[in-house]
Amino acid sequence: MPDLFINLVKEEWRTHSTMFGSISFALFPVMIFGIVFMGSFLVPFLSATIPAGDLALLAHAMFLLLGFMVGGFGLLGNEMMNRRFGQASLLVYSARSLPLSERFIFANFVLKDIVYYFFLWVFPFGAGYIAASPFSGVPLSRGLLLLLTLSLAFLLGLCVVFILSSLYVRSRAACLLVVVCSAVAATVFAAWSGTNPALLFPPYLLYTAFSWVALLGTVIAIAAMFAVSVLLFTPESQGSTKTYRNVLGRLARSLSFLPRSPLVAKDLLDLSRSGIGIGQALFSFLIPLVAIWFFLSLLQNSLPPHGLIAIFSLTAGIIASTIYTWVTEFDSFGPYACLPVAVSTLISSKMTTFLLLQVLPAVFIGAVACITGSPGLAGPAIVLCLSISIYAACVMAYLCGLSPSVLVYDVRVLFTYLLLDGVALVLLAALSFANSLYGLLSVFLLVPAYLFARAAGARWDARDPGGL
Amino acid sequence: MASVIEARELSKSFGEVTALDRVSLSVGEGALFGLLGPNGSGKTTMIKVLTGQIRPTSGSATVLGIDAEKEGIKVRERVGIIPEQESPPSFLTAMEYLEFVGAVRKIPDIGERAEKWFDLLEFRDKKDVLCKDLSRGTRQKLMFAQAFIHEPVLALIDEPLINLDPIMQDVVKEFLAGYVRKGNTVFLSTHILEVAEDICSGIAILHKGKLLHSGPLADLTARGEHLPEFFLSLVRKGRHA
Repeated sequence: MPDLFINLVKEEWRTHSTMFGSISFALFPVMIFGIVFMGSFLVPFLSATIPAGDLALLAHAMFLLLGFMVGGFGLLGNEMMNRRFGQASLLVYSARSLPLSERFIFANFVLKDIVYYFFLWVFPFGAGYIAASPFSGVPLSRGLLLLLTLSLAFLLGLCVVFILSSLYVRSRAACLLVVVCSAVAATVFAAWSGTNPALLFPPYLLYTAFSWVALLGTVIAIAAMFAVSVLLFTPESQGSTKTYRNVLGRLARSLSFLPRSPLVAKDLLDLSRSGIGIGQALFSFLIPLVAIWFFLSLLQNSLPPHGLIAIFSLTAGIIASTIYTWVTEFDSFGPYACLPVAVSTLISSKMTTFLLLQVLPAVFIGAVACITGSPGLAGPAIVLCLSISIYAACVMAYLCGLSPSVLVYDVRVLFTYLLLDGVALVLLAALSFANSLYGLLSVFLLVPAYLFARAAGARWDARDPGGL
Repeated sequence: MASVIEARELSKSFGEVTALDRVSLSVGEGALFGLLGPNGSGKTTMIKVLTGQIRPTSGSATVLGIDAEKEGIKVRERVGIIPEQESPPSFLTAMEYLEFVGAVRKIPDIGERAEKWFDLLEFRDKKDVLCKDLSRGTRQKLMFAQAFIHEPVLALIDEPLINLDPIMQDVVKEFLAGYVRKGNTVFLSTHILEVAEDICSGIAILHKGKLLHSGPLADLTARGEHLPEFFLSLVRKGRHA
């Protein structure tokens, strides 16, 4: 039924455009196009230091990551969408009032995500590169091929998360087993064959050596994963009467050393009981980072000694900063509006929860440093990762308040975010490449981070939190 | 009788929509005051402005003598609020939500108070169920309990009887009547005229953001008028104006 699909697309558009105006939102893909168009002129210069193949690899890794992120939000985001918009207001719940099966709606929902985010991110990126090709000396055919293979990388990321999250809803243990087995298999394969599994990433292989057979194989694999994820899909059960032990008070007391501990305890319970904490940790953090590690490690020869762990720490830091979106996804300000709680109080409590959860990237980066034989670099790597993560999250809180996952699509917001984070990333990368211990200097980022966090409270207190 | 709510020329616009248009009204201590109006008349916006949840475009309001715009948090510390269409947080149980409210409001004996509310509104069997799994009616009971659990001197409640069965509506109406008898004040927004006629001492009628009428309900009764007819004639006139 095309009507449902079309209306799902309309709904997604309006969700974003009503937040900051249709024109501002429509400019989002234009901005992506513009950035890539301008950036394409740098490719010949960058190729002098980084092989063109490595740049292409990075672009494919980025779109795989984008697929992971979009898929993670789409499926794990049901509950946050309930909280934000109210259950009956979303078409995805129309099976309750219309003669449509949940599975049919899910299939349309996945298709909607594919098409919508393709035109929002992937197409403008490829189009920008293609438009610049006459000026940058890159053949048009390479540009078109890149658009195709980046689209496939995005779709693969999306389908992997869809299939894993469908499995996750059925059995968390089975899902974890699949993820762990895949990671172990990739590591064993790399050790045994001496080949980095990222080099076998089908869209990248297609980009480097195109063949129609390989294209067909990749498309069939994506379609098969999509079909399996729809078959595995289990509708969320409603109206459960399961009871829970009262743990809020105890948890708040054990966190009483933190400011606003009841609010922090509530956030932790939300994450734990919804399963979103583990789901996000898996789909938006661990899986993307493990994949990124394999991709980045291919750049080792283009990087200075210890550059790989530094660049990985910075990447992990940016991804870890999105933990701020995990803790804000549950809440609109609405349920707090009947209590003596200011928006600034809520932002700082979310920030406290975010800081508490930074143990996850810290442990992860420490483990990566040790596993890859650089335990001595664990300290600077952890400091680098956490500093950029905290800084980026504070910038996000300042720019987006309690709605980072929505407001990030505002062109002005995204541009400012990229600029503020980009400057810090370039500086820290340069310092860490010069000497891995210089990564420790990243602690100075905590000063602007603190100032952004403080300004975020004042900025968002001065605005009306709700509408009519 | 001292005034607990004073609104002066209060206006609120959302873009081109004027939700409140120079509304002035006064609510005295100990009143059960009904704010009436059709859907979209500005009732919810009025409660949000009075409790400092949103700022007026112009005009001012004091609640319990506190400036609602400048000191919204102080207002919300002192009053109880039932917002329209807001649910309690999904992944807390009913008991945990009341404990959460108690922690934010710093109520020392929150456990005992919560138990009383589970009994009064008859949902003790749901106290350990996650809020997302509660029926709409039970969620409404929970929101009612959170608004009164700190025993505020003033409660601003938006459609409090919605989703409640007739028996529970009766319990709530009785509670509200007893609550104002103790000298407290209730500012009730509703479009159910029978409820207002049944329990309110004073009323105000809003239509398209404008105040059409404000005064004691007894004045209507003295004139031999009934609230539903009076309301409909005013709103119809307003519609044709």
